[in-house]
Amino acid sequence: MEPILDRGGPAQPLLAVKGLVKHFPLKGGLLGRTQAVVRAVDNVEFDVLKGETLGIVGESGCGKSTTARLLMRLMDPDAGSMIFDGETVGVNEQAGGLTLRDYRRQVQMVFQDSYASLNPRLPIEETIAFAPRIHGLSSADAVTRARELLAAVGLAPASFARRYPHELSGGQRQRINIARALALRPKLVILDEPVSALDKSVEAQVLNLLVDLKAEFGLTYVFISHDLNVVQYISDRVLVMYLGEVVEMGPVGAIYDRPGHPYTRALLDSRPSMDPAMRRTKPPLTGDPPNPVNPPSGCRFRTRCPYAEDVCAARKPLMADLGGGHIVSCHMASPESGHSLAGKLYEVPPPRADVMGVPA
Amino acid sequence: MSAVLKPPSPTAEVQPLVKLRDLSVTFATRDRTVHAVNGIDLDLAPGEVLCILGESGSGKSVTLRALMKLLPKFARVSGSIEVGGRDVTKMSERQLSNFRGTEVAMIFQEPMTALDPVFTIGRQIAETVQRHEGLSRSAATARALELLELVQIPSAKRRLDAYPHELSGGLRQRAMIAVALACRPKLLLADEPTTALDATVQIQVLLLLRELQERLGMGVIFVTHDLGVAGEIADRVAVMYAGRVVEEGPVAGLMAGPLHPYTQGLLGATVHAGMRGQRLTTIPGAPPTLDVVPTVCAFAPRCSFVHDECLAGVPVLRSPTPGRAARCVLVPDR
Repeated sequence: MEPILDRGGPAQPLLAVKGLVKHFPLKGGLLGRTQAVVRAVDNVEFDVLKGETLGIVGESGCGKSTTARLLMRLMDPDAGSMIFDGETVGVNEQAGGLTLRDYRRQVQMVFQDSYASLNPRLPIEETIAFAPRIHGLSSADAVTRARELLAAVGLAPASFARRYPHELSGGQRQRINIARALALRPKLVILDEPVSALDKSVEAQVLNLLVDLKAEFGLTYVFISHDLNVVQYISDRVLVMYLGEVVEMGPVGAIYDRPGHPYTRALLDSRPSMDPAMRRTKPPLTGDPPNPVNPPSGCRFRTRCPYAEDVCAARKPLMADLGGGHIVSCHMASPESGHSLAGKLYEVPPPRADVMGVPA
Repeated sequence: MSAVLKPPSPTAEVQPLVKLRDLSVTFATRDRTVHAVNGIDLDLAPGEVLCILGESGSGKSVTLRALMKLLPKFARVSGSIEVGGRDVTKMSERQLSNFRGTEVAMIFQEPMTALDPVFTIGRQIAETVQRHEGLSRSAATARALELLELVQIPSAKRRLDAYPHELSGGLRQRAMIAVALACRPKLLLADEPTTALDATVQIQVLLLLRELQERLGMGVIFVTHDLGVAGEIADRVAVMYAGRVVEEGPVAGLMAGPLHPYTQGLLGATVHAGMRGQRLTTIPGAPPTLDVVPTVCAFAPRCSFVHDECLAGVPVLRSPTPGRAARCVLVPDR
C-alpha cells in the first residue's frame, strides 16, 4: 500500500470545508422533547492547504473538538460539505465523490488521551498493523510496516513492538498513536490536543517529532490546541473559534503580531508572560465564555466585548478581508457596518477589564 | 503593585510560617513501594508566595498534602513539618480539625470534587464559619456574602443560593477560594488551581489570588507544572525532581538564569512566543520510577553535563549567591 498520489495540484486545497453545522439537541422533560440546542459548530468554513499546518485555537466549548470529529467524520454534520482534493466526501464514486472508507485512508487522527485511544489488549505492533491489514495489506507486510513506523517515531522496534499500552509512559503512548495514524500513509492528520496531557519536557520531544514526520512523509496537519504558544510554534495558519464560529483566520504572523478581533487580542493577552517583571495587573477579559446553548444574538462575543454597540446585537458581522489571507469577523473591520468605530479596527486599544462592565 | 517589587521579607528575624526539615513520604502497598518525597527542607516566610514547580511524579502534590496531613493512612511520613511554630505530625485528630481551615486551607485543581454538590455555595461557606468561629447562622450567611464579594463573584447575593453545578468553571473556582478563605487562614495551599481553566479565565484567577494574598497577607504555597503560571504569581520558586528540591531561588533570578541542568532543560523545553522555526531543546529519557530512594543525582541519566562526581552520591545543595541554591555539583558554592 503506497501513498495515494496528489491529484489536484499544489494550488487546490487539500480539504475545503463549507458551511459546516453541528447542533446537539438537549432532550428532557416528561416526553423527552428537545428542550434546547447546543450550537457546537455553526457555519464554519475554511480551507486546509496542501503541506501546511492549520492551527485551531479557542477555549472550551468553542467547538474545536467537535470540528475535529466532523473533519474525521466520526459524526455526521447537520449541514455543510467537505471536499477532499476535489472530491466530495461521503458521496459514492459514481456521483464523483469519495467514500468514507477511502477518505479515512487519507485522513487520520491523534487524540488527547493517549491511553483511551489504544486497545489495552493488543501489543502495540498489532495496534499499528491493524488498519493496514483491514485495508488489504498482508499480515507480514503490515507488521513490517508497523516496525518501520515504530522506528520512525523513535521507539526501537526490538524492545517496544511486543509491549502493551500500560507498560509505556504517556509520551511513548502518544508516539504509538502518531505511528498508528501514519500507518495508512495518510495525507492529512488531525491532531486534537496531542500534547496537552504531556509534561513539558515530553511535550517538546513530541512536537519535534511531529515537525520531523511532517517533512519525512509530506503530511498536512490540522493542529487543535488551547495552548497559544504551541499553536504559534507549529502552525503556518491559525483559525480562532469562539462559541462555534470562526472569528478570525490568517497566517500565523498576522494573527500573533496584528490580531484583529477583540477576542483574539484578549486571548493572546491572557498568556502568562514568562517574565516576572512584566506581570499584568488587570485581566484582559472578565467572566467565562458563555454557554453555547443559547449564544448571544448577532456577534457572539458582544457580551464580553468592550466595544460592543447596538449593531453588534442586531446583525452578525460579515467576514472582512484584512489582506494577505487574514480575515476577521468584526463590525469594526467593515467600513460600512454602522459601528461607530467601523474601519478603525487597529486604532482601538486591546480589551482590558478596567474598561469593561462585568457581564451578568 | 507587583509582588516582585516588594522589598524581600527579612526572613532572618521573622519566624518562618512553614518549616519543613528532611520531609520524606513513602507509599507502601503490597505490590510496590514508592519513595515519593525524599528529604525536603523548605521555609516559607509569612506573606510569601512560593511556587513548587515540577512534572508529574516529582512529589510536589504529595509535599503539599503532607503539610495538611491529608495523606492516606498507608503513607509513611518522616521528618518535621512545622506550621506557625507547631508540629503538624504530632497533632491529634481534634487539633487537626481546628488547624485545617483556621490556620491552613487548601484549594484544588477540580472544584467540583472539593465542593459538596448537594449544598448551596452560601451554605458551604456559612457552615465553615459556624463550625470554626461559632457564629450564628445569620452572621455566618452575612460573612458568606462578604466572601463571595471578596472573590469578585458578580451578583454575589444571588449566587449564595446557587449549587456548584449551576456555576461556570471560573465561578466555581472562585467559590472554592471563598470557602478556603472563610476563616482567614495564614497559609493557603494551592494544588494546580488554574490548570483546568481556559486561558482568559486562568489569568483572572491568578490575578485574584495574588490580590487576595497581598490584601490578607497570607503565605501561599502554589504547586504547578507551568512555568508561566509561576512567573505570574511566585515570589520564590522551588523546583522538584524525583522527590527532592533540586533548585530554589527568587522567581526573576531563577527564570532568567537557572542553575540546575534540569531547570535549564525545563525552561528550554517550554514553548513560548518567538520560538517558531527553532528546534525545541528536549530532556531525553524519563524521570526515575522511585521504587528505591535515589542514592546519586537522580537527574544524572538524563543530564548532558554528567560526570563521575554526580554518581558518587546525592549532590548537596550549593548556594552561589544568597537566596539561590541548587543540588548540582557544577554549581559553585560560596
